[in-house]
This record gives sequence, C-alpha cells and structure tokens, in this order.
Amino acid sequence: MSASLAPECSERKERYDTCFINWYSEKYLRGHTEPSKECEALFKDYKICLNKALKEKGIYNMIEEARKNSPNNEGQPPGSSCEPSC
Amino acid sequence: MVKFFESTFSYDYQWPAVTLAYFLRYPNPYSTHVVSTDTLDMHIDPISGNLHITRLHLKRGKLPKTVARFIPKIKESYILEKSVVDTRHQTLSTETRNLDWNGVLSVVENQVYTPDPSAKSTSAATHWAPGSVFTSPAATLVKTVVKFESKLGAARRERTEERRGWLGNWTAGMGGVRGTIELVGKSSMKDGIQRSREGMKIVLEQLRERGLVRIVKEQRQGGWERWKKVWRGEGQGVDGGEMI
Repeated sequence: MSASLAPECSERKERYDTCFINWYSEKYLRGHTEPSKECEALFKDYKICLNKALKEKGIYNMIEEARKNSPNNEGQPPGSSCEPSC
Repeated sequence: MVKFFESTFSYDYQWPAVTLAYFLRYPNPYSTHVVSTDTLDMHIDPISGNLHITRLHLKRGKLPKTVARFIPKIKESYILEKSVVDTRHQTLSTETRNLDWNGVLSVVENQVYTPDPSAKSTSAATHWAPGSVFTSPAATLVKTVVKFESKLGAARRERTEERRGWLGNWTAGMGGVRGTIELVGKSSMKDGIQRSREGMKIVLEQLRERGLVRIVKEQRQGGWERWKKVWRGEGQGVDGGEMI
C-alpha cells in the first residue's frame, strides 16, 4: 500500500485501503456491486483527516476545482458530467 | 500546441487481475518517484453498478534538464486520477492529469483496459478466481492515449500580437522553447509509459505468485525495497524517474 500525503492520516488510509482492496477483489469483481458499509465508514474517517490536511497544505480548492472539470469535455457547463453523488 | 501519443499493450493476465493490479500498482520498484497516493472519492453508480474512483498522487522527480531551464522551481507535481470500472462490459477507463503547473505543460493520459480478444480463453487452472462470474481471455489489452500540451509562450504571443512586426524574432524564440519542451516531454513520456508497464507487471506477478494478502502486507511493511530483494536484478537503475 502506498503512503498518504499526510502522515497523520496513514493509519486510517491503511485501514480503508485494506478494506477496499478486499471488497474489490472478493465482492465487486465477482459481480456483487453493493457498496461495503464497513469500507464506507472507514473511508469517511480517512476523508475527514485527508481533507483537513489538503486544506492545511492549501491545495484543497485547486483539487476541488480540477475535479469538476474534465479535460475531455471542456466547454461543457460545470457539473454537467457529474454523477448523482457530486 | 497539442500533441498526442498513442500506444497499445497486452498484459498476459485476465482483466479482473489487471484491474486489481492497477489499484495496487504503487509502490513498485519502478515507482520510486511516487511519494503518495490518496483516495479522494469512491462511489458506485446505482444504475450502472460502475465503480468510480478518484485518487490523488504526489510525484517527485527530476525534470528533464531542458525543461528545468525554464521552470526550475518545480520539484513535485500533483496528479489527479479518475477511474471507472465497468464489470458488465469488462472495461476499466482511467484518466490521469497533472494539477499544478498545467499553465505551462498539461499532460492528460487516458487508458482503456479490456479483455484481449486475440488471447485464448482460459482453462480452469489459470482462471482468475474460483467463483468468479467472469470468463475472461487470458490477456488484457490496454490502449493509452496521452494528450500533451505546452502553453508556455502562447499567452504572451497573443498579448504582443499587434507588435509582431518588430517582436517577431522574440515570438519565434518562444515558439522554439515550446517546441523543445514538447520534444523532451514526448521522449520522457515514452519512458514513463514503459516504466509504468514494468511496474504493473511486477505487481501482477506478485499477485499471481504470492497472493493478495501477502502483497498488501509487504507493500505496507517494506515498500519496494523488499520487493527488489525478491526480484533480484529487477528494478535496478530505475531510480530518479522523471515526473512527466
């Protein structure tokens, strides 16, 4: 598993990554597409830590902005290619 | 100025294993320039069942000398990676691009991983996993398209448009710089694609030989240093990868 950008989030990231990769290989790739409640909870935990670190590093806004715009559909109104969850 | 670079490659592994290796590809002996990887978002589309993952990589490395002359302060770069796994159509689509310094140089890499139709179907012995719903060919095709754009000089040229007459030489000079950056970027991009393939191959071999649980444990404990010992001779001379 790769390291986190924020060392203080490493433990939470590790727990989430392990959960994800097990779910992905054991469930998702075998046709069970329901999300894992356990992984979702771990992700939430990890994300709180990560978002705080991204804000402290001053790169949170840059990332959020970039995520909204895909280089492959430039010219479309922002958010037009977004999934229901974003 | 926009340039494209395209290549196709086939991994001798089934599609599910290749997608797993994709998410597990760092760290590997060829990824010493990748400092960190974080997941920003992960969700499943309730209608299609497709898995959407957004990750952030921090890459560090030497810039090619020619480029460093013009933008010497850049030592690391944030890379945004978006991937979509579609198990029904056995397609993994990925897009990676640099987030910072993209006013100077923008590199967008798109990859599509699909089962290789030219490969034979698998026997039970080499099948991805017992209980798998998939019957994949024994190989996976990956098509890579890199869109490469340098913007240095473009904005300035627009500003000095009306003075083109007596600034013509200077403008041409900036165009030359741009050309150089694109040339260097293209050759290091080729190397970069080659290195990332080698890294993927090592992760795939490890997955096959040692299994998922041990891989994850070893990646966590010792990173790629321990892998190097396992693969003596592999991964030598791959340090100091370039960012582009």
